[in-house]
Amino acid sequence: MAEAEPFRFHECFALIRLTGRRASDILELLEIIKQVSKGSIFHHMHQYFIKSYIVPPEFPNDFAVWVADSLGEQNLAEGLANLNPFEFENIEDIRSELVRIITEHLKNYPMPRPVLPGREFMFNEGVTMVLPTSITAATLHDFARALREVDPSSIYFHFYEARLRLGKEEDDFTHYIDECLECPGLARRIKTMDPYMYSTEVLRDKFIRIIEEAL
Amino acid sequence: MKSIRDYKGISEQGDLRAIEAMAAKLKGRTMLHVNSTAEGGGVAELLQRIVPLLKDIGLDVRWEVMKGTKPFFEVTKAIHNSLQGKGVHITKDMWDEYVAVNRENAERIKPDADFVVIHDPQPALFIDYKKRGIWLWRCHIDISGPDRVTWYFLKNIVERYDGSIFSVSNFAQSVSIPQFMMQPSIDPLADKNIELSEEEVRRVFERYNVPTDKPILLQVSRFDPFKDPLGVIDAYRLVKKYHDCRLVLAGGTATDDPEGERVLKEVQERAGDDPDIHLLLLPPFSDREINALQRGSTIVLQKSTREGFGLVVAEALWKKKPVIGGDVGGIPLQIVEGATGFLVHSVEGAAYRIRQLLMNPDDAKRMGEAAKEHIRKNFLVTRNIRNYLAIWLSMEHRDEKVIYI
Repeated sequence: MAEAEPFRFHECFALIRLTGRRASDILELLEIIKQVSKGSIFHHMHQYFIKSYIVPPEFPNDFAVWVADSLGEQNLAEGLANLNPFEFENIEDIRSELVRIITEHLKNYPMPRPVLPGREFMFNEGVTMVLPTSITAATLHDFARALREVDPSSIYFHFYEARLRLGKEEDDFTHYIDECLECPGLARRIKTMDPYMYSTEVLRDKFIRIIEEAL
Repeated sequence: MKSIRDYKGISEQGDLRAIEAMAAKLKGRTMLHVNSTAEGGGVAELLQRIVPLLKDIGLDVRWEVMKGTKPFFEVTKAIHNSLQGKGVHITKDMWDEYVAVNRENAERIKPDADFVVIHDPQPALFIDYKKRGIWLWRCHIDISGPDRVTWYFLKNIVERYDGSIFSVSNFAQSVSIPQFMMQPSIDPLADKNIELSEEEVRRVFERYNVPTDKPILLQVSRFDPFKDPLGVIDAYRLVKKYHDCRLVLAGGTATDDPEGERVLKEVQERAGDDPDIHLLLLPPFSDREINALQRGSTIVLQKSTREGFGLVVAEALWKKKPVIGGDVGGIPLQIVEGATGFLVHSVEGAAYRIRQLLMNPDDAKRMGEAAKEHIRKNFLVTRNIRNYLAIWLSMEHRDEKVIYI
């Protein structure tokens, strides 16, 4: 195996910025989704993975949760929940898919009534604050060990944030394992995971298991 | 004096690591907080806790308090009520008083720092005296449905700041400056929240003549119609048909608040001569007593019909008490439905949830455990420190959405 620069793990947290824009019914949600920043779409599709929950919401994105809990439109909520950001290369494509799902729903079902004041969907954005850690890995063994040590926010940053928000072709873990550790088979296995079905803690366990199997 | 190191083993480790890293970047820089009261009220309480901790991590922090005239505070109370949608008209004379007192205070305080945080509307016009630095307006009140004219004037002031901070997303407005969300927090090491011995808890109940022979329902709040103390008594009466329990309503004496006196009288009349209802008029600075009452209760209520953030909910949750609260303001952020308590919308809803918890003490215990963890992860003072530093750094990297510390 070639000598590789060690992989340095970073951890992060999100600072929430408010846009002041709110939707009280499905048409307003649709219009604002078309207009808000890419950062806002990313935030509402991903904050589930960086927040600490006592009981996680039923669905992993804010749009699906609001449509289910506040509008009571389970059918549309299921459609939005099934949107898998991992299948999209950029945030604009995710935005288009959100618009398509809602528009299709409106063609087939009556419009739900608006929510009561205080229950509006508030459009926010995240500012990600990134901290380097002292945890590094230069081999697959190291990688499995480091994954056990790092904060869950590290999994979030290198996996979800790196690919869609920082515009990389693949997540940091897959890239390092493929390019630097020269384990393309393992990288392919990571790529075929369905990461939007897991919390970051569960995803961490899955990574570790896949790496240990490869070892 | 508390140090940030005292929170090791209590607060989230990630928060403490982030504070350390950001403090190293900001060491020696100057920070100024300005508000309108030195003690009493949530803002002063929070500043009393965070300013020493900000100093401890190496910042040069100053906290200044406005000196106002009686007419000035009448004006700012009117502005406050108007922003909360109570439709008070602010006249030209009132605005003139507001401008004059802000000028006098700004000339006295000389607001000069690298990072200036102006709390609430009272000192908002300090922005006229900005010479340098990053200035943020920190809004602690619910302005989701303000009087439009009052907000028009205040908005013109607020938009001259570099940024603003709100406690709840819904409180945000459409303004041209960056708006951040920062939930308020509790200090686990303050008298109000620190661990107490069973003996101390018992003594407090004895001192207030509240026997601990039955399950105890508690609401700690001012005698204010929006806290719905009458609704709490009605809910207790519905529960009493099934469960022998006591109700404790603990609040301030409110001697300077005519509305408070009126509500207290109504509460006394509604309570009648029921020996199991205890109305406690606590003097100011009864933090340890409130702490003991919360720890010794079975279920805590906060049946508000309107609320700012309602941090008293977090205080009770921290003490492993399930909380039954009104679905308003910041309460839904603290009560995770069915996991740390219940959100209710009526007297009957409150009664039903109280009965449910009294019938299932194991569920109540499990909720209490989850409640403490929820507060630990999201509502401790170290999270506020972390967020202030992060907002500062992010304002220095305005166009960046990913900032490497």
